[in-house]
Amino acid sequence: MDSGFLQTLEAILNFGLPIFLLLLAYFVGTMLERRHFRSIRNRESEFAQFPVVTFDTMPADWTATSSTLVTGSVVVSLDYFKRVIAGLRAIVGGRIKTYEPLLDRARREAMLRMIEEARRDGYDAVFNVRLETSRLANSSGEGKRTAGVEMLAFGTAVKFTSRFARTS
Amino acid sequence: MEISNTDSIPGRTIVQFYGVVTGNTVRAKHIGRDIMAGLKNIVGGELVGYTELLQDSRNEATERMIQQAQSMGANAVVNVRFATSSIAQGAAELFAYGTAVRVE
Amino acid sequence: MKFIPRQPREGINVSDTHPLVEAGTLIVGLTAIFICIALLLIFLVEIALYFVPVEKEVAMFENWLPEDLVTVSPGDERLHQTQILVDRLAFHWADAPYEFRVEIDDSDIANAMALPGGLIIVTEGLLDQVESENELAFVLGHELGHFRNRDHLRALGRGIVLSLFFAATMSNDVSSISLSVTDLTLRGFSRKQESRADEFGLALVYTHYGHVNEASRLFEKWDDDDSTMLDVVSYTSTHPDAGDRVESLKEQALREGWPVEGVITELKW
Repeated sequence: MDSGFLQTLEAILNFGLPIFLLLLAYFVGTMLERRHFRSIRNRESEFAQFPVVTFDTMPADWTATSSTLVTGSVVVSLDYFKRVIAGLRAIVGGRIKTYEPLLDRARREAMLRMIEEARRDGYDAVFNVRLETSRLANSSGEGKRTAGVEMLAFGTAVKFTSRFARTS
Repeated sequence: MEISNTDSIPGRTIVQFYGVVTGNTVRAKHIGRDIMAGLKNIVGGELVGYTELLQDSRNEATERMIQQAQSMGANAVVNVRFATSSIAQGAAELFAYGTAVRVE
Repeated sequence: MKFIPRQPREGINVSDTHPLVEAGTLIVGLTAIFICIALLLIFLVEIALYFVPVEKEVAMFENWLPEDLVTVSPGDERLHQTQILVDRLAFHWADAPYEFRVEIDDSDIANAMALPGGLIIVTEGLLDQVESENELAFVLGHELGHFRNRDHLRALGRGIVLSLFFAATMSNDVSSISLSVTDLTLRGFSRKQESRADEFGLALVYTHYGHVNEASRLFEKWDDDDSTMLDVVSYTSTHPDAGDRVESLKEQALREGWPVEGVITELKW
């Protein structure tokens, strides 16, 4: 009787498969995340001189000639490992520490993209910056499964009259 | 550390500004709160468990934002805004952001 | 005011707990909790069984048959003879509370089941594999043992416990894992039930024939066929390992002083 073989297969699938997927998601996910963070840090130091503020009125010494709305957005997906940990957390409650780096880099990426758009079009600063997060739900599973998280950064970009009005 | 959601601290002048600071935290509610909320949905009223949970999260997010400002050498954060969003089933992200400044 | 570009320190919005550590704590902690809850629910099922007496069970399930059952024709000689054998064996069980009914399932897989209300189902596959009446008598005696221990109702309880856990862990990804953990725990108890049914079955065989020759032949056959049996497999299955069952039966016969040699009764069809 080959029920022994079937049972071995069943045992492997029941336990091995989720664990394998978990480890795969963890290792690949961590590698991608680290790479992304490195890219983010490089770009942030590159753009450090570009003023970005949440003031809703411009600082007095900024004299703007033209302005426009600029946005930057990114959608990140939750990998299997993070979802499983969050599912376990939802039973006992508490801080979901695995999601924090994900949202952190999503937000910073969105801000960087907004700054890139402003710089590309020749603007000198962005003020009245707002940040918004929203969850994208999977269309299957009655919209309960999260397909990804969208992070949006938007603000008003301005061009100064003279190049020396920026930093004084 | 002084914080305000206007673009200046009342009675002070901003002398330097450094950039945007953010603080966020992701929290999950435990099954007990879920069940209580389900019951409350029948009779209505305040979901005290959730209120406490989100309030704690907001305080924590604000704390983190202040820490970021401190590490930049600021002594105030202005134009502070909050955002709450649902990240996954049963988890919410609490978000605080503002501009780190030095006031006198 | 002056703009001085500065950047915040890295890592404020990120916890420094290593994700694998957090994963490990959660998984280990929750597994322990799940196992405790499963044990508690099993205990509650036992208490509930105490309150459902046999008379009520018989009244509820008197003429019940499972929905997807495909039976052989009622005139089948095997059905007739098996029913006679069951009645004869039950005769030796002093206060058998059930009127046992036999049905034969039209399936090729060797199996026998004890179902609520005193219903015993054997498959064609099993009948094809038995070579003597003694073997069949042991299988039927084993099922009668289940009735005596009311195991068939426990199986229902087990199903309910599993569905409860599936519903409670609402996230889809976690449900399958929690299901596996709970299922494993419950299968441990299932194996113990099987051993106790084996013991009762052997006792009935001895009482009926005066010896226990050939009773465990079916298991010996299964043990030989199973060349891929690993220890991990027997731990995860609902029945004990076939080889172990043969050993236990031999030990029991030795302990009780039952003769292992004797005249084999032929099948009567």
